[in-house]
Amino acid sequence: MKFFFEWVQSYFDKKLPDPEKLAEILTMHSFEVERIERVKRGFVLDIDVLPNRADCYSHFGIAREISTILNFKLKTEQWRLKEDKKVKTKELVSLNVISGCQRYTGRIIFDVKVGESPSWIKERLEACGIKPINNVVDITNYVMLELGQPLHAFDFEKIERGKIIVRFAKKGEKILTLDDEEYELDKDILVIADAKKPIAIAGIKGGKESGISENTKIILLESANFHPVAIRRASIKLDLKTDASIRFSHGLDPNLTEVAINRAAYLISKFCRGKIAKGTIDYYPKKVFPRKIKLEVQKVESLLGIKISKEKILKILKNLGFKVSPNFIVEVPTFRRDIAIQEDLIEEIGRIYGYANIERKFPTVSLIPPRKNPEIFWENFTKDVLISLGFTEVYNYSFLSKEDIENFGFEREAIEIENPASAFYQFLRPSLLPNLIKNIQKNQSEFKEIRIFEIGKIFKIKKEKTEKKALAGVILGDKFLEAKGIIDTLFKKMGIPNFYFDFYQPVPQESKISIWKIKKSAEIKINSENVGFLGEISREILEKYRIKDKVVAFDLDFEKLSRLASEEHEYEPFSPYPAIVRDISVLVPKNVLVEEVMNVIEESAGNLIRDIDLFDIYEEIEEERKSLAFHIVFQLKEKAISPEEVEEAFQKIIKNLEKNPNWEVRKK
Amino acid sequence: MKKINLLNFEREIKEKIKKAQSLKELDEIFKEAFGKDGKIKKISKIIPTLPKEKRKIVGQQFGKVKEALIQVFNAKAEELRAKAEKETEEKEWIDVTIPPPKPLVGHYHPLTLVRRKIEEIFQSMGFEVVEGPEIEDEWHNFDALNIPPDHPARDVLSLGKTFYLKGGGIMRSHTSSVQIRYMEKTHPPLRIIVPGRVFRLDAIDASHEIDFWQLEGLMVGKDISVANFKAIIEEFLKRFFEKEIKIRLRPSYFPFTEPSFEVDISCVLCNGKGCQVCKNSGWLECAGAGMVHPQVYKNCGLDPRDWQGFAFGFGINRLAMLKYKILDIRLFNSGDLRFLSQF
Repeated sequence: MKFFFEWVQSYFDKKLPDPEKLAEILTMHSFEVERIERVKRGFVLDIDVLPNRADCYSHFGIAREISTILNFKLKTEQWRLKEDKKVKTKELVSLNVISGCQRYTGRIIFDVKVGESPSWIKERLEACGIKPINNVVDITNYVMLELGQPLHAFDFEKIERGKIIVRFAKKGEKILTLDDEEYELDKDILVIADAKKPIAIAGIKGGKESGISENTKIILLESANFHPVAIRRASIKLDLKTDASIRFSHGLDPNLTEVAINRAAYLISKFCRGKIAKGTIDYYPKKVFPRKIKLEVQKVESLLGIKISKEKILKILKNLGFKVSPNFIVEVPTFRRDIAIQEDLIEEIGRIYGYANIERKFPTVSLIPPRKNPEIFWENFTKDVLISLGFTEVYNYSFLSKEDIENFGFEREAIEIENPASAFYQFLRPSLLPNLIKNIQKNQSEFKEIRIFEIGKIFKIKKEKTEKKALAGVILGDKFLEAKGIIDTLFKKMGIPNFYFDFYQPVPQESKISIWKIKKSAEIKINSENVGFLGEISREILEKYRIKDKVVAFDLDFEKLSRLASEEHEYEPFSPYPAIVRDISVLVPKNVLVEEVMNVIEESAGNLIRDIDLFDIYEEIEEERKSLAFHIVFQLKEKAISPEEVEEAFQKIIKNLEKNPNWEVRKK
Repeated sequence: MKKINLLNFEREIKEKIKKAQSLKELDEIFKEAFGKDGKIKKISKIIPTLPKEKRKIVGQQFGKVKEALIQVFNAKAEELRAKAEKETEEKEWIDVTIPPPKPLVGHYHPLTLVRRKIEEIFQSMGFEVVEGPEIEDEWHNFDALNIPPDHPARDVLSLGKTFYLKGGGIMRSHTSSVQIRYMEKTHPPLRIIVPGRVFRLDAIDASHEIDFWQLEGLMVGKDISVANFKAIIEEFLKRFFEKEIKIRLRPSYFPFTEPSFEVDISCVLCNGKGCQVCKNSGWLECAGAGMVHPQVYKNCGLDPRDWQGFAFGFGINRLAMLKYKILDIRLFNSGDLRFLSQF
């Protein structure tokens, strides 16, 4: 909000600090000054008045604030209202407040001569960014900038039967405003109406028809206190913000209407030769009185963390215009609607005293070490492992577009946003995969090798909306086994026991069907509970995202993993005796699983074998069989194993393998 | 009968061996002496033709000469081999300016790095790291934080700014919701930080995001004060930026704190001298903070007369931007490896 420095100065006899210095003082004690602008006859401060301080949406308010901080005495202009005894406002206007209004004050001024404003008024308005229109309108604006109370002037002769009704609009009612815009009104819009129709959008903008023109002779001045919520709602609904609506929506002091209307009437009588009718119409059913709050000096010290004398506290509160009794019952003037509890008073004391004057002091608390958060611990742990395995971590949006949802078949589980930022962000992600695939799409031209992962929340609607922490990663290329090795390493490092990879048995209607290449995918299980998925991404998806190479992905339930993970780990002594390694190559039909072959080896000589290591798979396309080559490591913990024992075991393995008529051990 | 002068022969060969410069040369000499048509062969053919008494002496002598020569040959060969090895070793070199093949290395996301640093610092000061749900209800996101419906503060936090979900629920617009969730369950005294994603409806540009990270902090006890807040926050910032940081508190307004302030820090880029980033003010707006409003305690079922403490909220993205001099907030969610591979 703009404030004219010279206008603020006019409230003081003492010279104010220069605009820059004053800006700093205000910033540190009251409100941030965002800019200082040079204008024709001085400086304008753009002050970001805090939203709970509508009393400072005025030059007088800011001056009052400065007088408190600097301890400068405020000077107020002396003026007296002269009323015409013969004409009475009450007899001319009938007022009916139906809703949305705490106070409505009106005054009639007649024999007004509408014309140009004096140049000093125009200057002050222009400095604050308001265009001068005519002397009557300018004075209403001037008083708003001066005291913070928005005013409106109606051409009284245009008001049907002299009736003023404050009510919510009816559906279908319309109004043409002063700036020639037409608005359709409804039951959420508070209006001022005459006997026939709305003549102003209450607290926001006046109507054109009842507006002040050069022919206006009699005016009805309005100085009201509308409900902040009503004005705020209407302003949002109509998408119409005005200097008046901003002030009303933050809540004004109902006791201000009277001062402001008299001030405006005085200026109109002075500069527009108007005669002020006697008295006002004034609807004010519940008068607002000053609040009383008990202040404990000890609480001031405890909350701010400083020693501060009673005298100092007293002085600050008095400078703020508060009355303080000897036992610190503080009476807060009604213009400070923001002060309701003791802590509000402590804030006043703190900021005027200056937060800069509060010395830093470490708290004295009991030495309780913070609890460890296992989920965050395992999250960090997982990141360390994956990054050491060459993965780069990404953070993607939690949102997906409708297209993504359809591509991945997530329609039934995805949560839709009521008011999305754009069509790209219309749904919450039910999986981390779509954005990871899009990351590949984006990076594939620059990077040949891509391995990325993300840990983040995914959102699904089942019976209720749910969110879960997930871990997913993608590798560019035909790298199923590598990915399997990564999962294997990660799970082992996390101390997750008994996990295994199982063939994927799709259930119809599962969204997974469209995402994965079914025959190149595995479910990852622990105790037959599914914890995740590993596999190649389907051709259809890759085509949709224009990815040429293959992509292998894993998608894990991270919450399950971190529950199963364990830091407990026991060292297992290794054998001091040498190992003997024998290689074996087996020809088996293509559909035989490696695991089956390994099981036969294991069962034949399990107690002598430390490790079976597959080191080659050879598949000739036309051949019906594939060749599997293993290193078999023989070793015992208790004693050295003899070559004869190994040979015996090895022969037994061969014999057992060849029991199967279609299996053949290659002899060298 | 041919005359043999064994001594001359020995001397001659030894002389040649001595002069030999390379293994190849030495090999030639060896062949000359011990080869198929070599002198030794010739001599050994002559010896049987000698008279019997001479034969024995010459034979013995010949054996000694052979042995001596082989020894000299071996010694020289060893010498030359060592020399050759040394020479080739000296010739072997590597151009250390060759760009090496790149090993496959992973990279942490900068927000993870910053989060870890933050968490480490606060944990060292006894703060527990806590998380909360990203889908929230209006009670925890607004009402419990003393932001009733139609409150002007909702202009900033709500309506225009909050994402509403079809069928109910919102995406949390700040991590302050976790203050409530934590205090509903945990009795003070307490010290927590809450790093987490927050969501605001906005037009995305270089300095505005719709999906970003916040750090909430909350410390509540019997006598936790503004002075305590200043000490904790200054210590954090100093350790985070690894340099002396000045802070200042400016009055502000949040419905859930009273008093409320903005925390400004001396610009970390120009050290307060004034630059483009701090708009020549020397200060950067860094966090919103304040002393927890009594109504917030009440809403968590606590008696506000028993407890007091501070709460604060940082933008983690902003801290990362200042730390790594990142000028565009959109990079964090971009998944762009040209960006990510720098961390």
